[in-house]
Amino acid sequence: MTGSHWAVIGVLAIAAFSIRVVGLIAGGRIRASRHSWVLDEVPGLIVVCLVAASLAGQPVQTWIGAAAAFGAAVLTNNVIATMIVGVIIYAGLTMNGI
Amino acid sequence: MSASVHAGSSQIVAVEQFGTTQTVLGAALAGAALNLRYIGIVASLSEVLTGLSLRTKLLAIHITGDENWALTMAERAKSPDVGAKFLLGSGLVMISVWTASTTAGAVIGAVLPDLERFGLGFAFTAAFIAMARGLWRGQSQMLPWIVAAALTISSVSLGLPQAYAIVVGTLCGLVFLASRRRFERVEA
Repeated sequence: MTGSHWAVIGVLAIAAFSIRVVGLIAGGRIRASRHSWVLDEVPGLIVVCLVAASLAGQPVQTWIGAAAAFGAAVLTNNVIATMIVGVIIYAGLTMNGI
Repeated sequence: MSASVHAGSSQIVAVEQFGTTQTVLGAALAGAALNLRYIGIVASLSEVLTGLSLRTKLLAIHITGDENWALTMAERAKSPDVGAKFLLGSGLVMISVWTASTTAGAVIGAVLPDLERFGLGFAFTAAFIAMARGLWRGQSQMLPWIVAAALTISSVSLGLPQAYAIVVGTLCGLVFLASRRRFERVEA
């Protein structure tokens, strides 16, 4: 590790933490404003976008696994059960070359 | 790096950028920009963090990752008792596992088989699907979620990195909601 490597880590750590602090300050201000509804909507939107981003451009077995996980989520509303069903279906399809 | 930055995609991009360009500031800023969604993620925690000391708040926002944040919000939607303790506990587990596993990956990663074949990567997608289910409040969310997902997929398809596409999708969902709220006020 050279000095430059440590510098990248240091600058990135400061920049990444600063973004989080901006969020902390923004959250307090938005919560106190007439736009507080935004904070109630942001979690669902971000999580849906995380799912969408991980599915974009993926092969059909990923979408089938996601559909199975979605079914399990609707039926159980349980994270572990959904992960188990999704991974079993996805791994089954992938390992069998479907 | 994993303990001090605690942001997977940012770390990967910064290392890749530094490997090609050898510029410290450029590499660090390219990595940090991928973390912009954390403005929204941390902002949404304002109620959860209420009443904590500033020091604890700063610790909490550093150890917050996508997974434990989404899990906290999903569990909180089911039970309002879930709050800062859940966030802090899950965050400590997250950053510990992240740091230990990236260290192990650096040491023995080259000899491991392709874990993606066994569905390890897909487990996160399935977990986020379950967390979205936990955050579902009713039909009023359907259209904004479809708009956000469609814009995210379109952005990735057009070549935008996933981290930016998530920000684009979220902002489009919020714009849609703001427009609908304005329209409903005019109607009333």
